[in-house]
Amino acid sequence: MKSRLNLKIAVASLVVVAIAFAATVGIVRFVLSGEYRAPERSDQAQVTPRVQALQDEAAAKEKADREKPYVEETYRKFPVIGSRVAVWVLAQLHLLFAAFVLAVPLFALIIEFIGWLNGDERYNELAHEFTKLLSVSFSLTATFGAFLLFMLVLLYPKFMNYLMHVFSPTFAPYVGLFFFEAFFLYTYYYGWGKFSAVTHLLLGLGLNIVGTAIMLIANSWLTFMTTPAGVSESGAVISTWAAVHNYTWMPINIHRIIANVAFGGSVAAAYAAFKFLGAKTDEERAHYDWMGYIGNFVAICAFLPLPFAGYWLASEIYAYSQTLGLTMMGGAFSWLFIIQAVLIGNLFLGANYYLWLGMGRVEASERFQRYIKFLLILIALCFAVWATPRSIIATVSETRAMGGGAHPQLGYFGVMSAKNTAVNILILTTYVSFLLYRRSGRTPTVSWAKLGNALQFAIAFLAGATVLFLGVYGYFVEAKVRIGLSVPQVGSVLFAMISVTVIDVLMYRNAKSLGEVRWGKINPVSQYVLIFLAVTFTWLMGLMGYVRSGLRQHWHVYGIMRDTSVDAFTPTLGFATRVVSVTVLLFFLLIGFVFWLASLSDHKREHA
Amino acid sequence: MKVPVGFKILLLTVATTGFYTLVGQLVPQKEVYPPKETELKKDMSQDELVKAGKDIMEGKGLCTTCHTFGKSGALRFPDLAGIGARAGTRRPGLSDVDYLAQSIYDPSAFIVPGFNPGMPVINKPPIGLTDQEILAVIAYLQSNGGKVTVTLQSKVWPLGSSATAAPPAAPAAPPAAAPAEPKKD
Repeated sequence: MKSRLNLKIAVASLVVVAIAFAATVGIVRFVLSGEYRAPERSDQAQVTPRVQALQDEAAAKEKADREKPYVEETYRKFPVIGSRVAVWVLAQLHLLFAAFVLAVPLFALIIEFIGWLNGDERYNELAHEFTKLLSVSFSLTATFGAFLLFMLVLLYPKFMNYLMHVFSPTFAPYVGLFFFEAFFLYTYYYGWGKFSAVTHLLLGLGLNIVGTAIMLIANSWLTFMTTPAGVSESGAVISTWAAVHNYTWMPINIHRIIANVAFGGSVAAAYAAFKFLGAKTDEERAHYDWMGYIGNFVAICAFLPLPFAGYWLASEIYAYSQTLGLTMMGGAFSWLFIIQAVLIGNLFLGANYYLWLGMGRVEASERFQRYIKFLLILIALCFAVWATPRSIIATVSETRAMGGGAHPQLGYFGVMSAKNTAVNILILTTYVSFLLYRRSGRTPTVSWAKLGNALQFAIAFLAGATVLFLGVYGYFVEAKVRIGLSVPQVGSVLFAMISVTVIDVLMYRNAKSLGEVRWGKINPVSQYVLIFLAVTFTWLMGLMGYVRSGLRQHWHVYGIMRDTSVDAFTPTLGFATRVVSVTVLLFFLLIGFVFWLASLSDHKREHA
Repeated sequence: MKVPVGFKILLLTVATTGFYTLVGQLVPQKEVYPPKETELKKDMSQDELVKAGKDIMEGKGLCTTCHTFGKSGALRFPDLAGIGARAGTRRPGLSDVDYLAQSIYDPSAFIVPGFNPGMPVINKPPIGLTDQEILAVIAYLQSNGGKVTVTLQSKVWPLGSSATAAPPAAPAAPPAAAPAEPKKD
């Protein structure tokens, strides 16, 4: 009985287990297959709605891909900093290195030529030392140029397409000239002392001609963007030559050649200062002091006529479009010229200070040092006038009290008549500083020395008086006359500088030496002044590059092709100066690398 | 402790750059955007048209970049205060509307004595005002001392096509006979 009961329990248990198992399997299958299935069965494979939807989606995408039309991109975006800043920084770095690479061969050739003429081997060595900085700089220029081109094509494809449409005939010569540039550069540098002097000078001349030609072609592209010519109202090309030879092409060519020499000279002087400060022997110090002096002399000689070239450029901008000119000087960019005044004022101050410190290395220069305080006062006054804005930053109540944006008295110094006068006197003062330095330690022996001195003084005084008179006269005449007054102002200063120099050269021929120039015996502060000048020159180039380009405002090509990107606005000057500063710091980081590389060959020579 | 020369040079470079950056932050800061379009409706009242003309002159037209209203002294371009009253008598044979239209469409046709030519053609790029916008500008200029006669339906250019301009005040005379008025246009 008991065993029968046990059997029943066992059978029942098995049934329960089987049912439980079947239920579990059923539940698991139900849970795992979450999809809806049609209740009827079929022999054919069933496509679920989801699979069907995926297939439809893929087919639609394939069809859309097949039929996708080609749309030309107008702009692409550079991450984080944006396209404009990316191109801005790259273009500026390219231009700074290009300026250096164009300028150094120019004055290296002149120095080499002077050495060849007077037979002084020191000049030849100095020219060679300057060119040591070239090969790495040339590579960096080309690298930044290629980088800039790729970025422009990538970020501004439509605009670049248009530029290529206008300037396509100029691209092949441009690239071809680069090959010649490389040929002349490396032959000039590596062939130093291996060719005859004349052959070597001719190689240097070739290098300069090709370098200048490259710059002229590139200048045509960028000046066309601001003052387009040779195209129809819709932008179609009528004459490529007219597009090249537009309003601002030649003024920019001249301005850039001069500015490049000033910039290149100042950077080369900074290199000499860097070497002077790290020099271990008196001989090294003497050599680098001299090199710094020559570099700075080149820079200042080029710097003095630069404002005149700037006037010409500005007048051509006005001639092309008064609106463009007034946007530059009286509109969105007017305050930029106050920043420029601070920079140029510092350049004048620095250049004069270096000359005055330089008198310390010349024996018997004390007799001239008493004049320095007067020159300093004159420079400070001119600086103050030049940096005075037309409209003062003031509160509403202050503006009301002044009766307008201009200060009742200081406002008179904010106009062009005052500024033209200030800059001309600044140039004249710097020239006098140089003249004093030149005369240190020497006294003329010619019989007409007294007359010569009187004549020089009279010319300089008359030039200063003319500049001052025309400056004041400008306040009392109408615009038409006033604009033209800058020409006689500039003319009188140039006349004074040329005529006084001619008299001085003749007067100091066979001059009696009162003491020798002790190269290397100069206050080390002077070397920091040279570095300060180089940084200021570089910053000034960055700032003026910005205004030249930014002047177009919301146009890629002024009046022809409008900028419709997110960057089609003029940023604040604060923003612009921050970008300029970052570029300048990057440039000095890289040029520091160039200096270091150039120094390695010295180490090699020392160890040999 | 002796400071390495390289560090001093770096410090000088950063300090100089920093100083110029600071100068850049001290001047007035302003972002300049492309000029906005002024909406012109056919059913605008005269006051609305004058107001639109003023907006166009100060904005898209860029007129006030060069011209002033109520300034005297050493001006680079003619002051426009009271132009509405003067325009009709400025050149013999030309009504106020004709004179204003000619000054805008063909600015080199007559240069105010004492000034240099320099005004760009306004109805072409980069400024590129439309005929309707120029009518609004003329309305605003007329309102400066004169009577507004133009509407958006007026046709003022080429000269002679005007239906709204007053007939010439006097027979045409050679330009040399134009009265000299150096400071006001």
